[in-house]
Amino acid sequence: MPPTTRNVLRRRTLRQILGGVRRRARRAVGAVRRAWRRSLQLQVVTSTLVISVTVVVVLGVFLSDQINKSVIASSQASAASEAFADRVQIAAALSLEPDDQAKPADAGKSAPADPLDAVMNTITGSGENGSKKRYEVLVLNTATPGASRASGKVSPRDVPLALRQGLERQAKNLRYDKPLRHQALIRFSGETQPRLTLVIGGLIPPDAGASYEVYHFFPLNDEEQMLSNVRLAIVVVGFGLVLLLAAIAYLVARQVVTPVRLARQAAERLAAGKLDERLKVRGEDDLARLATSFNEMAGNLALKIHQLEELSQVQRQFVSDVSHELRTPLTTVRMAADLLYDAREDFEPMAARSAELMQAQLERFESMLADLLEISRYDAGAATLDLDSVDVRDVVLRAIADSEALAERHSTRFELRLPNEPCMAEIDNRRVERILRNLLFNAIEHGEGRDVVVTVGADRDAVAVAVRDHGIGLKAGEETMVFDRFWRADPSRARTIGGTGLGLAISREDATLHGGWLQAWGQAGEGSQFRLTLPRTAGADLKGSPLSLVPPEIEMRRTWRGQMTPVLLPASGDGAGHEEL
Amino acid sequence: MRSSRRLAAALAVAVVAWAGSGCAVIPVGGPFPVDEAGGGDPMSKPFQRMIAVPPQPAWAPLQVVQGLQAAMAAYADEPDVLSTYLTPAAAKTWRPDGPVTVIANRPKYDYVGKSDGDQVVIRLVGTPIARIEADDTYMPYTGVGDISIDFTLVKDAQGGYHVQSVERGAGLLLTMDDVARAYRPTKLYFLAGPPGPSRLFAERRLVVDRVWLRVKPTENFAQTIVRRLLEGPSKALHGAVGSVFPQGMSVRSVRSDDDRVVVDLHGPIAPDELYTDGLKAQLKWTLNNNDMANGRTVEVQLDGEPFYSSDPFVIRADDMREDWLGSNVSPAYYVSKGAVRSLGDERAGNAVQGPAGQPNELYSRLAMSDGGAMVAARGTPAAGGGIWVTRVAPDGRWQRWIQGRQEDLTPPSWHRDGTLWTYDRANGTVLRCDPASGRGPERVAAPGLDGLDVTRLRVSRDGVRVAVTVGKNEVRVGAITGGGGAPMLGNFQTLTRVTDEEIRDIAWRDGERLLVLVQSKNAQSVREIYVGDGQSTELPATNKRLESISALGQRLLAATEGRKEILEFNQDKQGWVSKVDGGDAANPIFSLG
Repeated sequence: MPPTTRNVLRRRTLRQILGGVRRRARRAVGAVRRAWRRSLQLQVVTSTLVISVTVVVVLGVFLSDQINKSVIASSQASAASEAFADRVQIAAALSLEPDDQAKPADAGKSAPADPLDAVMNTITGSGENGSKKRYEVLVLNTATPGASRASGKVSPRDVPLALRQGLERQAKNLRYDKPLRHQALIRFSGETQPRLTLVIGGLIPPDAGASYEVYHFFPLNDEEQMLSNVRLAIVVVGFGLVLLLAAIAYLVARQVVTPVRLARQAAERLAAGKLDERLKVRGEDDLARLATSFNEMAGNLALKIHQLEELSQVQRQFVSDVSHELRTPLTTVRMAADLLYDAREDFEPMAARSAELMQAQLERFESMLADLLEISRYDAGAATLDLDSVDVRDVVLRAIADSEALAERHSTRFELRLPNEPCMAEIDNRRVERILRNLLFNAIEHGEGRDVVVTVGADRDAVAVAVRDHGIGLKAGEETMVFDRFWRADPSRARTIGGTGLGLAISREDATLHGGWLQAWGQAGEGSQFRLTLPRTAGADLKGSPLSLVPPEIEMRRTWRGQMTPVLLPASGDGAGHEEL
Repeated sequence: MRSSRRLAAALAVAVVAWAGSGCAVIPVGGPFPVDEAGGGDPMSKPFQRMIAVPPQPAWAPLQVVQGLQAAMAAYADEPDVLSTYLTPAAAKTWRPDGPVTVIANRPKYDYVGKSDGDQVVIRLVGTPIARIEADDTYMPYTGVGDISIDFTLVKDAQGGYHVQSVERGAGLLLTMDDVARAYRPTKLYFLAGPPGPSRLFAERRLVVDRVWLRVKPTENFAQTIVRRLLEGPSKALHGAVGSVFPQGMSVRSVRSDDDRVVVDLHGPIAPDELYTDGLKAQLKWTLNNNDMANGRTVEVQLDGEPFYSSDPFVIRADDMREDWLGSNVSPAYYVSKGAVRSLGDERAGNAVQGPAGQPNELYSRLAMSDGGAMVAARGTPAAGGGIWVTRVAPDGRWQRWIQGRQEDLTPPSWHRDGTLWTYDRANGTVLRCDPASGRGPERVAAPGLDGLDVTRLRVSRDGVRVAVTVGKNEVRVGAITGGGGAPMLGNFQTLTRVTDEEIRDIAWRDGERLLVLVQSKNAQSVREIYVGDGQSTELPATNKRLESISALGQRLLAATEGRKEILEFNQDKQGWVSKVDGGDAANPIFSLG
C-alpha cells in the first residue's frame, strides 16, 4: 500500500478515534450534568466535598506550616546554643598557652599537645570515653598552617559559599558576635544522596593572626522525617475527614431528600388523577409537617375537584337538558317558521324580510343546538365511533363538494393535492367529513377569496389532511385558542357563514376520539394551515404525521434565510409530545 | 428516665476526661512494654581529623614546612593539598609510599642559614616514636636518638615558598597527635597454625594481631577493620597464623541493622567447604574486641544475599566456645628446695605427685606443660646438665630429653602442642623435642637468631609467638612458622631494647602481652609490653629484688632473690603481696608461657 494511502487511513482512524472520544466525553458530561440537575443529593454531597476539601486544604497547609516553623525553630535554637557553647570552648582553649611537649614514653595516652586537638576531642567526643555527637564540626583557619580541624567527613568544600562569604565579610568588619545560619542540601564525601543540613558558622576573634571560622553541621534528617510523617498524617486525616464529611452529607441529604422524593412521587401520582394518594407522616419534624400539609392539600384538592366535577356534571346535564327541552318547541317554531317562510312572497316586504330572517336565525339556532347536543355528548362521554374502512380521498372530495357553494360565494378556488394511491383508514366517515367540512368552511371564511390548498398524505401508520388558506393568518398563541369553544379571532367581525363557534371544538373532539391530532399553524399575513392526522387503525398510537404542519413554502423560505434547523412552532393539543415535521 | 440521664451524664464525664487527657501534649501513664531499638550504631566512632590548607603566598618558609607537615597528616583524606606545597618537580617525584614515621609532638624547626632569599633550608629535629608499616604494624623506636630532616624551599615567581626537597625522601612524617587523631589501635584475630581456610588442628585458637588502622571518613570503622582482617595478618605473624578468608575476599559493607551487625562480603568463598567455626571466631572476636559489635548478633552475607542460599549465617553472642583465646585459669606452682609445690590463694600448698614434688638439688628453672601433666627442668652440673622431663604422677621419673651443659641451654619452654623447646647456645640452634614422634631433639631453623647471644627462649601460650632475650638488654619476638611438620622460627623483630639496664626475666602473660623484668643499677621494674605494637606499661615496683617472674592472665608471680619469698602482684591495690615467705621458695610456675 502506498504510504500516502496509509497516512490517510491512519489520519482517518485517528480522527475517528478522536471523534469517538469526543462523543463519549460529551455524553458523559451530559450524563453528569443531567445527574447534577436531577439529584439534590448529588448537589449537596458535591458542595460539601468542595467546601470541605477547601477547608481541609487551608487548615492542613496552615497546620503543616505552623508545625514546620516550630520544629525548625526549635532545632535552630538548640543548634545555635550548642554551636555557641562549642565556640566558647574553642575560644577558651585557643587562648591557653600550649602544653609542654609530651614525653614519647607515654605519648600515646597523654592529652594532645595542641589545645585545638584537645578541645576538638572534647567537642566531637573523639577523645577517650567520648560519645558520638549528633553534629559535625569544622574549624577552619586558612591563614595558619595546621590549624584547621574537622570531625567526621565534613570538609571545607561542604560549607555553603554564601555562608563562607558572609563570615568573610564579618571578619573584614571585625564583627565576631553574629553567627550566621544556612540550610542547604549537602552531599558529603562518600555519600550518594545529599542531606538536608543546618550549617551554623561563627567566628572566633583572634588573639594574634587570623580568626578561626567554626562551622557546625547539624543534620536535619530526623526533623525532615518527622515533618514528613506529620504531613502524611495531615494528608491522611484530611482525606479521611473529607470522606467522612461527604458520607455525613450523603446521609443527611438522604434523610431530607428521601421524604421529598416520596412527596414528589405522591404529587406525580396525584397529578395523574390518583386523588387518594397520601404521604406517611412520621414524627413531628418539618418533613412530617410537610407531609401533613401535602395530605391536607391533596384532601382539599380532591374535595374541590369532586365538587367541580359535580358542578360540571350538573352544568353539562343542564345544557343537555336545555338542548333537549328546546328542541320540541323549536320544532314547532320551525314548522311555523317554515310555513311563514314559504308564504313570504304573499307578505308585505317587511313581513317577508322578517320571515327570511327568522328562518335564517332558526337554522342557526338549530345548528347551534345540534352542536351543543353533540358537544354535550362528548362531555358526557357518550360519543362513539362508527368505524369503517374508507378512502380518505373520497371523504375529502365529498367535503369539498359540500363546500363548493360557499366557496363560490367567496370566489375561492380549491387546489387539491391528492396522492394517487388510496389512503385507506378506519374512520368514522361522518365525523371525519364533518371535521373536513369545518376546516374548509373555516378556510373559506378566513381565506379572503384566495386559494385554499387541500393536501392529503399518508404513510404506513397514518393519514393526514392539511387545509391551507392564505388569509390573515393567526397571531402568535392563537394556534391553540382556535379550538376553544366560542372563540373568535376578531369579536367585532361578523359571521358570514353562520358558524356556531363550536365547529373546531367539535372537530378537535372528533379527531381525539379517533386517536388522532388536529393541529393549527398560522402566521400573520401568511395565512394558516390546519392539519388532521388520523391513525390508519383506530385507536393506534400516532408517532408522527405524513404531512408537515408548517406549509412547505414557508419552511423553504426559512431555510433560505440561513436557518439550518427549522423553527418549530409549538404544536397544539394532543400531538405536542410527538411533534415531527 | 432518671437512670438514662445518669448514664448520659457518666458518658459525658468520660468523654470530657478522655478528651482532656488527649489534649495533654505528652500523656502520662504506664507502665507499658518498650520496644528495644537495638544497641545504636557503634559502627563508627567519633573522630577528628586535620584539614590541610594550601600554602598562602605570605607565609614564611617555616610556616610552609609546618603546613607541609599538616598536609602529610591529612594526606590520606586530601591527597591533592600536599602537592601544592611542593615545587612542580618535587611533586612529580615525591611518593607517599613506605612507612609512616611518627615523631613526638612539637618538633623543632630551625633555619639552616638565612631565613629568606630564593632558597631556604629548614631543619626539623624531633624524637622518633614509631614507624607505621605498610601492613599497619606499629613499630616503636626504642633507644633511638633524635632525627633531623632538612627541608629545602625555593621561592617562586609570586614570592611564595615551595618545598623543593626533603632530606629523607619519600614517606609521611606524622606527629603523635596526628596519629592519635587518625589511627586507632585495632586487634585482628587469626587462627593459630599455618595459613589455610580449612580446619587443620583439633583445637585451633585465635591469635591477636595488633595493628594501627587509619580512620577513613568515607566508611565506618567496622568496615575498615573487616577489610583489614580479610587482607591477612601482618608481617610479624606471616606464615604463623591462618585465616578462613581466602585471597580475593572483600567487604562490601558493615552496617548496623536493628539488633544485629550485618557483614556483607564478596569474593571466592565456598560456604559449603568453609570452616565456619573459624569464621565465626575471627569475626566475632574482631568485631567485639574492638567495640564494634558489643555482644550483638553478627550476620554474614555474601553479595548482599544470605550466606547460605537458604539460611542466613548468624553468629550469636553465646554460640561460641570461650576457650578460643585459651584459658586464663590455671593453678600456680613454685619450687621449694627443688620440689614443685602448688600455690593456693592464701598460702603454700602441697607438693605435686611424682619426682617433681620431691626435694632435690639437681634441677633448676622448672617449666610445666599444658594442663600440668609434665614438668621440665634444666639439669644442674650435678645432674649432668641437659633438659630433664618427668611426668607429674606417682610413677613418673626424671628423663633427660636433651643433652647439653647447663650454661649452654636456655631454660625449657613448653609449647601447647606438647613439644619442648630450648636454645642450644653452644651450637646456636633452637632445639625442639616432640615426645609424640619418639625421636630425640630436632633442630629448628631460626635464621633470625643466627649469630645472636640468645639467653632465654619462651614460647607463647597460643603457640604462635616466641620471645627471646638477646644478651642482657634486648628482647626480640618472632613466630613459629611452617606448620607442625617442619616448624621454623621467623619474623623476629626487636620488641624492646634497654640501655644501662639488664633484662632479668621474661614471661608471657597471654598471647599478646609479654612481661619483662628489668634491673637497673638502683631499681627494678616489670614492664608489660604488647608485642603487637610495643605499647609498654610499667607496673609498680617493689623494694624487694626480684629474680624471676611468671604470669597467666591477671595473675603475676615473682620470686625474690635469695630464695626468700614468692610475691604476687595485686591488681586492685596495684602492689606486691607476699604469698610464700621463706622455705627456699623460688621459680614461680604457671603452665606454658
